[in-house]
Amino acid sequence: MSSPTAFRQRVSEAVADERVVRAVHLATWHKVDACAESMRQLRDPEAIRELAAQIKQHTLENLPRYLEQFVAQVEQSGGQVHFAPDADAARRIICDIAAQHGAKLAVKAKSMTSEEVCLNDALEAAGVRTVETDLGEFIVQIDDDRPSHIVTPIIHKDRQQIAQAMARETGCEYTEDAEELTAVARRYLRGIFRRCDLGITGVNFGVAESGTLCVCTNEGNGRMSSTRPQVHVALMGIEKLVPRLRDLPVFLKLLARSSTGQPLTVYTTLITGPKRADDPDGPEELHVVLLDNGRSDLLAGEFAEVLRCIRCGACLNVCPVYRNLGGHAYGSVYPGPIGSLVTPLLQGLDEHAELPRASSLCGACQVVCPVKIDIPGLLVRLRARTRSSQPLLKRVAVRLWKWVMKLPTRYAWAQWWLPRLLRDCGDGWARGGPGPLGAWTHSRDLPIPPKQSFRQLWRKRLSDER
Amino acid sequence: MEVALFVTCLTDTFFPRVGEAVVRVLRHFGCRVEFPEGQTCCGQPAFNSGFHAEAAALARRMIPIFEPHEQVVTPSASCATMVKTHFPELLANEVRWREAAERLAEKTYEFTTFLRQRLDVDIAAHLSFDEPVTFHFPCHAREAYGPEDLHNWLAHSKQVDLCLPEHADLCCGFGGVFAVDYPEISGPMLADRLEDLAASGARLVICNEGGCTLSLAGGAHRRGLPLRFKHIAECLAESLGLMEPER
Amino acid sequence: MNADQNQPWNSRAWRSELPPGRAAVTAFIDALRRRLRDFESRASLPQELEQAVRQVIAGDDLPARFTQAAASVGLQVHPASPVDWMSVIGDILRKHEAHSVVVQLDTDSPLGKRATDDLGNRLTADGFAPTTAVDDETLFSADAAVTSVAAAIAETGSVVCPSGPGLARGASLLPPVHVAIVHASELVPDLCDYFDGLSAAVGNSPLGPASSSSTSLPANINLITGPSKTADIEGILVTGVHGPRHVHVVLVSP
Repeated sequence: MSSPTAFRQRVSEAVADERVVRAVHLATWHKVDACAESMRQLRDPEAIRELAAQIKQHTLENLPRYLEQFVAQVEQSGGQVHFAPDADAARRIICDIAAQHGAKLAVKAKSMTSEEVCLNDALEAAGVRTVETDLGEFIVQIDDDRPSHIVTPIIHKDRQQIAQAMARETGCEYTEDAEELTAVARRYLRGIFRRCDLGITGVNFGVAESGTLCVCTNEGNGRMSSTRPQVHVALMGIEKLVPRLRDLPVFLKLLARSSTGQPLTVYTTLITGPKRADDPDGPEELHVVLLDNGRSDLLAGEFAEVLRCIRCGACLNVCPVYRNLGGHAYGSVYPGPIGSLVTPLLQGLDEHAELPRASSLCGACQVVCPVKIDIPGLLVRLRARTRSSQPLLKRVAVRLWKWVMKLPTRYAWAQWWLPRLLRDCGDGWARGGPGPLGAWTHSRDLPIPPKQSFRQLWRKRLSDER
Repeated sequence: MEVALFVTCLTDTFFPRVGEAVVRVLRHFGCRVEFPEGQTCCGQPAFNSGFHAEAAALARRMIPIFEPHEQVVTPSASCATMVKTHFPELLANEVRWREAAERLAEKTYEFTTFLRQRLDVDIAAHLSFDEPVTFHFPCHAREAYGPEDLHNWLAHSKQVDLCLPEHADLCCGFGGVFAVDYPEISGPMLADRLEDLAASGARLVICNEGGCTLSLAGGAHRRGLPLRFKHIAECLAESLGLMEPER
Repeated sequence: MNADQNQPWNSRAWRSELPPGRAAVTAFIDALRRRLRDFESRASLPQELEQAVRQVIAGDDLPARFTQAAASVGLQVHPASPVDWMSVIGDILRKHEAHSVVVQLDTDSPLGKRATDDLGNRLTADGFAPTTAVDDETLFSADAAVTSVAAAIAETGSVVCPSGPGLARGASLLPPVHVAIVHASELVPDLCDYFDGLSAAVGNSPLGPASSSSTSLPANINLITGPSKTADIEGILVTGVHGPRHVHVVLVSP
């Protein structure tokens, strides 16, 4: 359970972990450069972003009819649809599906939604061994860790940690070589893929027109998880819909470019129903589980646009706060700028009130967001929503600020007082001070204000000169 | 042309020289400059922190002070955005204030925007630098101009040795109240930015935002980095011979 | 006007009233519809997308664009003619020291109905062990697979492999080497063109209950844009994670 104190504690630990901070710096800068270069290759990136924003906004505003169309199409193609109002229901539905089929071994492709509802624990408790198959998530799982980025989950881990975890779990010879480690994972997981009886994936885009699930992956585990087992469960947030097949290129041309700097992910998989009678392979059953878990609360409200998010991770990569904290400090499945919005909005404003405040509002996220979510603007609105839970001292300080600023005489008086509150260390700078001045001087000095303010200068000489 | 100067509380208190430079440059290009003395603060810190009632109170205070003037110019892009974008938002539901807020929004300009759009000034043509220079693009200037614009004004100056920072657009960690709320995050962000600026090789940093300058200059001083910060208004005033260069 | 200023929507309130099973889906959509009844949607659905989105036009040199794009994502493109495509494939397989080869060519492919037999005979003659079997044992142990494609996209260098009668998904996924035969006539310029084609297959059904059959789409389509890869370990790029490590395209032009 997050609380302001817990958040601050995580933040302190995070900024002190030099190794992770360095790793996150390297990883995010690399991706920022690659993604910027990739976006420049588009003829008109701004126009595509605008289209993507509009298509998503339209879909959200008309969600009932697109949901209806999507459901009908999935069922017509032989799939089954379930609705999970919350995380509990999602876990129950998927465990029931597993139980109905006597599933004992489940494979999972990377799905943030499944982490949001804590699916793995529930399946394990129900006697279903659940194996993450995305390499990064696999390593997170075998090392009892948590992902720190929504696209590349282990940017906080170095090869020694990975090597130790792999040797421990698979019994392989210890190696730190990335190629060898990947080969070990491939062999190990291939065995699992051969034997699994349930596959769980997320969905990047659900197409209402045809009931098609679009899943974008790089490793091949997404294909394995939706092809090998008899039963494929696709867990999809209700906001993942797009109206038409021809809307997909708009998003596909932005997703990988914004996420990792590739033109497309290696595999763009379009799933329309379970296997047909004549198909040599594929799942016998497809279950689409629609997840609400607080999303519908945001529709038609001032925060609806956060539901446009296509989970590309671009905002994380470019965020200077994320770069210095890493993902774990956010205490949520969704870190970074988008996480600072969706975590309080989906999981409780009061619990997570600090997240929106831990931002300088620099707007770098807004510049790169492929669906043009006004992240800084929404962060300010969230701050306004949670104003009553701001620390007392801050509320008093803001009222005091307003009081001072209401009269020029008070303002001038404050200007007179300020240098007297600061202790000049002899060179025109202060290194400490009471209250907020102490926080300021945590990492920087404060210049002693010049003897003459501008308005004094104006009165003395500027006003008469022409 | 008559212009009222909205100097901003930070510039008034910490960087009066920037205010003076703005006045001198505007006069040089033919403006009559007034300074409405009732002005205090536009309320941006309150607004960004989510204290919108307090911010609205300060907006209502500021609007009549500038109402009598044809144009309002401010050296701070973030304060300009506060007036232009957020005053109308804050007062959208108040019949008495909505239109007045929109009128003020329309006639308020960030300094460089005013020079370019209302006075048709080619900024680069009037700038010259006698030492290597780099720049910090303030995040909140984005609504007024972009990092490419700032880069171009400097790059096309009459005389310049422009040293680019590795990342043109990187937050200095100020973020208003954020610096004081979360110093443990703001600090490392500041360190990243200073390292980037220092690595450019230049010692003079063009920075057009009081908050950023306060943060960056304070951080540079704490670390003993030989970086100095100037607003482009000061550079213009010096290049035009309107003010003595400050070393 | 924000709808939530009027009526606080509390999804928790109706959650406990949901019927079990499939009925919950309809109940939710109905509840959502009631909730949004007074909300005026302001964002219209854009109809003209191409102007902004299209990167490659029909008049471009598609084979050249495809080759360039494919190479940039790590696909190895080999030009071939209707006369020598089989020996080109042989060369590729030899380079990988492949022996057991899964051959999966769609009978509708431009290579012709006899292509599978012809290729099979040729590979056998050249000392390989071709098979059209697609059971687990075969797919998991094969050294390579040769498949046809449904389309190839010049813009992105992607090859499109659908499922269908005689078309196993595992063929382009399980063996470590995948050779995709692309006939020049199968090239489409841009991603837009490919998805417009899919839309046409579905019939662009109007909003509301389905009127056309989405089962006209294959159950599974993969746009393959490179060899399987990851950079999860310290950002180091490694290929051949779960899918093929080597993907070759034999581009057959008349």
